[in-house]
Amino acid sequence: MIGLSSYLVLAALVFSIGLFGVLTRRNAVGILLGIELMLNAVNINLVAFARFHGDLTGVIFTLFTISITVAEVAVGLAIVIAIFRVRRTVEADRLDLLRG
Amino acid sequence: MTVETVGFWVVATVLLASSLAVVLTPNLFHAVLYLAAALVATGAIFLLLDQPFLFAVQLLLYAGGVVTIVVFAIMLTERLVGERIRQTSRHLINGAIVSAAVFAGIAGFLLRAPLAMPRPEQAGDATASIGRALVGPFAVTFELLGVLLVTALIGALYFARGEE
Amino acid sequence: MISNLGLTLLVPVTPFAAFLLLAIVGPLRRTGRGAGLLSITAITISFAAALIVWTQGFVGERTWGWIPADGGPIATVGVLVDPLSNAMLVLVTLVSLLVQIYSLAYLSDERPASLGRYYTYQSLFVFSMLGLVLAPGFLQMFVFWELVGLCSYLLIGFWYERPAAARAAVKAFWITKLGDVGFIIGIVLLWAATGTFEFTELFEKAQAVSGLPLIMFLIYLGAVGKSAQFPLHVWLPDAMEGPTPVSALIHAATMVTAGVFMVTRAEPLFALVPEVLTLIAWVGAFTALLAATMACVEGDIKRVLAYSTVSQLGYMMAAAGAGAAQAGFLHLLTHGLFKALLFLAAGAVIHAVGTNDVFRMGGLFRAMPQTGIVFIVGTLALAGVPPLAGFFSKEAVLGGVWEAHLTGPFLMLALTALLTAFYMFRVVFIAFFGRAFAAGHPHEAPWLMRGPLWLLAALTVAVGLRLAVGGSEHEAPGWLVPLSLALAFAGFALAWAMYQRGLVDPATFSTALAPFDFLARRRYGIDALYGVLYRALVLGFARLIGWIDRYLVDGVLNVLSALTLRAGSGLRGIQSGRAQDYVYGVAFGVLLLIVWAQLWR
Repeated sequence: MIGLSSYLVLAALVFSIGLFGVLTRRNAVGILLGIELMLNAVNINLVAFARFHGDLTGVIFTLFTISITVAEVAVGLAIVIAIFRVRRTVEADRLDLLRG
Repeated sequence: MTVETVGFWVVATVLLASSLAVVLTPNLFHAVLYLAAALVATGAIFLLLDQPFLFAVQLLLYAGGVVTIVVFAIMLTERLVGERIRQTSRHLINGAIVSAAVFAGIAGFLLRAPLAMPRPEQAGDATASIGRALVGPFAVTFELLGVLLVTALIGALYFARGEE
Repeated sequence: MISNLGLTLLVPVTPFAAFLLLAIVGPLRRTGRGAGLLSITAITISFAAALIVWTQGFVGERTWGWIPADGGPIATVGVLVDPLSNAMLVLVTLVSLLVQIYSLAYLSDERPASLGRYYTYQSLFVFSMLGLVLAPGFLQMFVFWELVGLCSYLLIGFWYERPAAARAAVKAFWITKLGDVGFIIGIVLLWAATGTFEFTELFEKAQAVSGLPLIMFLIYLGAVGKSAQFPLHVWLPDAMEGPTPVSALIHAATMVTAGVFMVTRAEPLFALVPEVLTLIAWVGAFTALLAATMACVEGDIKRVLAYSTVSQLGYMMAAAGAGAAQAGFLHLLTHGLFKALLFLAAGAVIHAVGTNDVFRMGGLFRAMPQTGIVFIVGTLALAGVPPLAGFFSKEAVLGGVWEAHLTGPFLMLALTALLTAFYMFRVVFIAFFGRAFAAGHPHEAPWLMRGPLWLLAALTVAVGLRLAVGGSEHEAPGWLVPLSLALAFAGFALAWAMYQRGLVDPATFSTALAPFDFLARRRYGIDALYGVLYRALVLGFARLIGWIDRYLVDGVLNVLSALTLRAGSGLRGIQSGRAQDYVYGVAFGVLLLIVWAQLWR
């Protein structure tokens, strides 16, 4: 019997994996991929709760989240490309202009 | 063993495997492809949760749009020499520890919470209800979303301009 | 008409107003002569008021609360008027007036700004001295005591570009400060025992105080410093670095007499501690003798007069110690007149000849007869020749000391009388008679300087005659008058023989008295001792404090700031600029929140 907790644990796993990706990837695009995974996990969470509480609000929320994520990816990658034009690299280690 | 159970386990395995591959594979292109697989698997999860509309949206926007964008971005940020971007990761152990700790924390909450509940009955397709909600209570949010997308579009256009 | 109290207040307030005006209004001060005229006008008004108060014989007291407290004010300011203070008022204002007039001529070649500064200090000094004299209690007296010391410092070091003058001013300040420490401790102890500073109350309550001898001894220390008693006498000869009118005013007639005045004012208190009085008498007599010996070998005319002042102050203190405070005070008044006269005359000589050294003067009587006459008048008064004023006051002192059966001090004072006559006439013979030495042509002093000289000389004679006619209160032993006359004559004769006639060679005389001569010329090593002590103790202590300040106090701050800087540069590593590291931070924060939430459950 697949209960709510199964879905939630699955989402938590995917979230952690995404976090791991954000923390360890060198390439900026790689980091964005990790962020995608985390957002995905959040979506799974939302839909699971919506389904198990019989409330459609979670689903609507997920729709919005997906749309916003798409916009965010677009802008984020545009920034990455702009950085690449200037600095000729997208390695996260090299992008430390705000270093104190 | 219901279909539901089997389906869940299969989809879950695929999702987890492809997620791990996304973050671990050295080749960035491969990572994108694995991400596509993970996104499809997520869509399958939505199906399992009786949300076909969401499944469709997921495939269209995520697996279709986002992956395409990322592929383009990778191509544009590749070194002009032409070699594939090699990707190595750093501080694997630190990252692993932190992520595992976060998971453990969340799981701790989950396992202690009273969550096991049967699914309530669902009355048919939710798509119509979603549509009604979008132009009903959530109309304002919907419109704002449109504004956001336009803004993102303009922003991306700005960045995409060449050097002056 | 103004009441007597108003007149009394007018006496110190007018010079104070002049001081304020000169201190604040820069352009007025920088006119030089204008400042002088303002100051002189103020002191004239002050003198007139003092005269009226004195002749009226006004007696009274008026105070205002100063430091408020529950059971009545802790300290008061005000005026205490009685014959003692009235006489001092007249003396101080008169001598100040004459000195200020004299200074217009003596300092005529000063820059106007400097001259203005001089008169500002003069006005402040007069105010301070008058405030001291009129003080109804120890606290106000102490405040003005310190003010007077400050003015002394300012005026001694008036020509501050000269290193010797600057050093002398600091020395005077330090040495008198030593005495003042004892003074203030004594005052506070007395207050702690009786709860009051006011003289009138203290006189009633003092019997009950235990440890009174110690307290009065401490208070006496203030007088030791201010009135240049041994061993705190070393500042007075060096104070001659100041302009001569300053020496005449401060170090002859007024400031140095503050110590004697204080002892006289507090006579009822001192009368309760006879052991301290005996000490005062012995120290006074010893100081008199010591200073007289040092005057005999001095070549600087102002230094001779300075030692003479120290010597005469010893006389006054000895009288106070012998219980004859009135005699001492009489000597204070007469001495104020003729010592000021002698200093001003010496100033005229210095002004004319350009040097202080008597051995570079000679035959001045022919060139400056008027100055010579008044100088001789002063010398006779100092030597104690009737019918001049000094004779009567010296008689009174000697009589008082004899009456108290203080044989030791009496002998010392008698010997001092002989030496006094000797060294004064020595100066007279060397400088005014004999072969003319002077390189330039000395001329008689201008009228602004001669006027005060003649006035003081006339007063010396007049006061003497008045005392001769009035008769003294004590009946001194009959043999005292001939003895003192004989001593004075002996001193005169010795000086005449050595310096006028050349019958006795000074050189052989000094080899005959070689040990005394040696010691006297080196001022008995006291100055050297002070120098050593100062360098060792004061400067050593200062170096220690400096070290503590630099390494401990500043060190703490420096260590703190260094630690802060190091911590800062260490912590700076957190800001790597890499977004991933910041995500680590966020994840860590989330972990902490989770843990906290778990615990909170």
